[in-house]
Amino acid sequence: MTLIEAPRSTPLRIVDLAGGEGVRRRLMALGFHKNDIIELDGQAILRGPLLVRNVSCDSKVALGRGVAQKIIVEEVHERP
Amino acid sequence: MSDPRTPVVVFIGQPNSGKSTLFNSIAGHKAETSNFPGTSIQHTHSRVNIEGRLLDIVDLPGTYSLCPTDRAEQVVLSHLFSERPDLVVNVVDASTLSRSLELSLELIELGYPMVIALNMMDLAERKGIEVDGAKLQALLGAPVVPIIATFGRGVKELLERAFTVLDEGQVLRGIRGSGDVESKIAEMERLIPPGFPIVGNRRFTAVKLIETGGLACGDLLGEVDPRLASVLAGLRKGLEESRGAPAYEIISAERHHLAMKIFEGTSRVLHGKRLTWDTRADAVLMHPVFGYVILVAVFLAFFLVIFKVGNPLEALLLGPFESLKATLASRLGDGFAFYLAEGLIQGVGGGVAIVLPYFLPLLFLMALLEDLGYLARAGFLLDAFMHRIGLHGKSVSPFILGFGCNVPAIVSTRILESQRDRILTSLLIPFIPCAARTTIILALVAFYLGPLWAMGFYVANLAVVALVGWVISLFLKEPSPGLILEIPSLKAPRPGSVLRKTWLQIFSFVKFAWPILIAGSLVLSLMSFFGADRLVNDILAPLVSQGLGLPRELGVTLVFGFLRKELSLIMMLQALGVEYQDLLTAITREQIIVFTVFISFFIPCLSTFAILWKEIGKKWAFVSVGLSVSVALALSWLVRLVI
Repeated sequence: MTLIEAPRSTPLRIVDLAGGEGVRRRLMALGFHKNDIIELDGQAILRGPLLVRNVSCDSKVALGRGVAQKIIVEEVHERP
Repeated sequence: MSDPRTPVVVFIGQPNSGKSTLFNSIAGHKAETSNFPGTSIQHTHSRVNIEGRLLDIVDLPGTYSLCPTDRAEQVVLSHLFSERPDLVVNVVDASTLSRSLELSLELIELGYPMVIALNMMDLAERKGIEVDGAKLQALLGAPVVPIIATFGRGVKELLERAFTVLDEGQVLRGIRGSGDVESKIAEMERLIPPGFPIVGNRRFTAVKLIETGGLACGDLLGEVDPRLASVLAGLRKGLEESRGAPAYEIISAERHHLAMKIFEGTSRVLHGKRLTWDTRADAVLMHPVFGYVILVAVFLAFFLVIFKVGNPLEALLLGPFESLKATLASRLGDGFAFYLAEGLIQGVGGGVAIVLPYFLPLLFLMALLEDLGYLARAGFLLDAFMHRIGLHGKSVSPFILGFGCNVPAIVSTRILESQRDRILTSLLIPFIPCAARTTIILALVAFYLGPLWAMGFYVANLAVVALVGWVISLFLKEPSPGLILEIPSLKAPRPGSVLRKTWLQIFSFVKFAWPILIAGSLVLSLMSFFGADRLVNDILAPLVSQGLGLPRELGVTLVFGFLRKELSLIMMLQALGVEYQDLLTAITREQIIVFTVFISFFIPCLSTFAILWKEIGKKWAFVSVGLSVSVALALSWLVRLVI
């Protein structure tokens, strides 16, 4: 599923980063790589951005919906 | 000194790593020269004298990696590569260690002598992260000094280590990753032809060639050596086929895994300490409902505080200048000497008594919001609204900075990844009421018509920004790449840092703007003594009195508004020949509004125009002037009709 469809406040593993090179480079520079564990922390109103926390390095990033659509995740059932 | 060259020390770190705080605490009390906002905001140079040793220290903007993804990061790289510093101080945020280490690993590959400042140890502790500095040092091979820059803790030791490295030199060995990737890097190293521009060392150059194949360096490559370009492409392809991912991603993943491994080997994460005050505060600040309530409240409070502090202060300060002028008038009569003295008092008094009272609280509050980390949160909340004008949340922070001064705000658009977003944001920033225009709005509209009118003016002004943005975005269609914005941890603002920032801004106002205000007032005095102002007013009369319905004497003040917006306000009193309190005897309330509207929009001030030219080019600078003039004319005419 894409990050937009993912449930809130549960650990998610990044399966794939789709999208153009610019977006992928930017995401990786901010510490988002395949297999990282992330969590959805919140969302702004009016189809606004998602608030995403990278659990492994404990940094928070706001991602626009266009970008979030390109991040494919799966639920992690055991705690990392 | 035997060495004629002062060692250059560069501060580099990821955004929000506390790099500038550390820089200031070192440059602070010992700085011999410093720069202030303006064209050089991108990096601050300071020559400092620490225990008898001179150092040239350079504060570069934050960068996530050594592969630039926006203009601000390009500045860092070109500076880092061209200037070849004697020492790099890598500021690392201990509270986001694993990510921050990715940049450190790149810097180690680059191989310049380096000291690592492990900053924000207190924040890391609050988050339940324990970092073993000694272990980290052993793994990285460069000195690691734990510090808390906001309290100046550990800074002395950091400097000692820096001097040791400067004196004794340092050999860094790059940390190796997986075998297959390493063999490709080694192959590339061998293939670099003699005479190829080496950055740092052969290995670093090879890594960057593989990693940035498609970027600027790659385009250059074909020109330098067409054969090398095809060799590189083949090598990248081999790597991509064996790993099933683009080359840049493979290299980046290598560093990511190394960083994670080092992080896990040197840090202990104590869970259960999660819910700290900032997590709870953030839940409210970015709440879908309360977040916006707070945002509006912050905006209103911002405005009211500035007015409530500025207004009485202004009244208090104006008195002495007016009595001084009255005394001089009775002593000097009506001759040349009086004209000169009057101009001088207007200039000095206008700066002190009219502008400064509003400037001071405004700059203080801006510094407070900045230090708290609220700008990124406002960006998160306003992203959806920014989409309506073809931008996204990342432009919010330059816009908010624009309320202080448009010039650094335009420079800060460098954080935007796409050129189209930079142009659109830079064209809109001159419509944001900066401190100078806020002063005019408060000193004229709020003072004579009431604070509610001024507030309405502000809101209308923002509506104009939105409208103009919407119109421009119809012409600049290219889609925006979408929001990727780091939300830094909330930090309790430290009074020292906030006061310091305010002081630096005030200082730069006194140093750069005040002379212009004084000179402008003197020139107006001279012009009116020789009757030259009438000439200008006559030329502008069709616009000023017929078009805008203002007293024709104000024509000359509009011309000077191009230098500094608040100059128009000060000159207005002088041109009309009245005291501030008696303004309504010379001009009506309606005229005050028309004047304020026109002055606010009619042209970006000289410094803004210059920075637009420099940042987005001549063409767009003139587009901005054209836009402002037409918006100002249309709006003031409209206001005149309505009121």
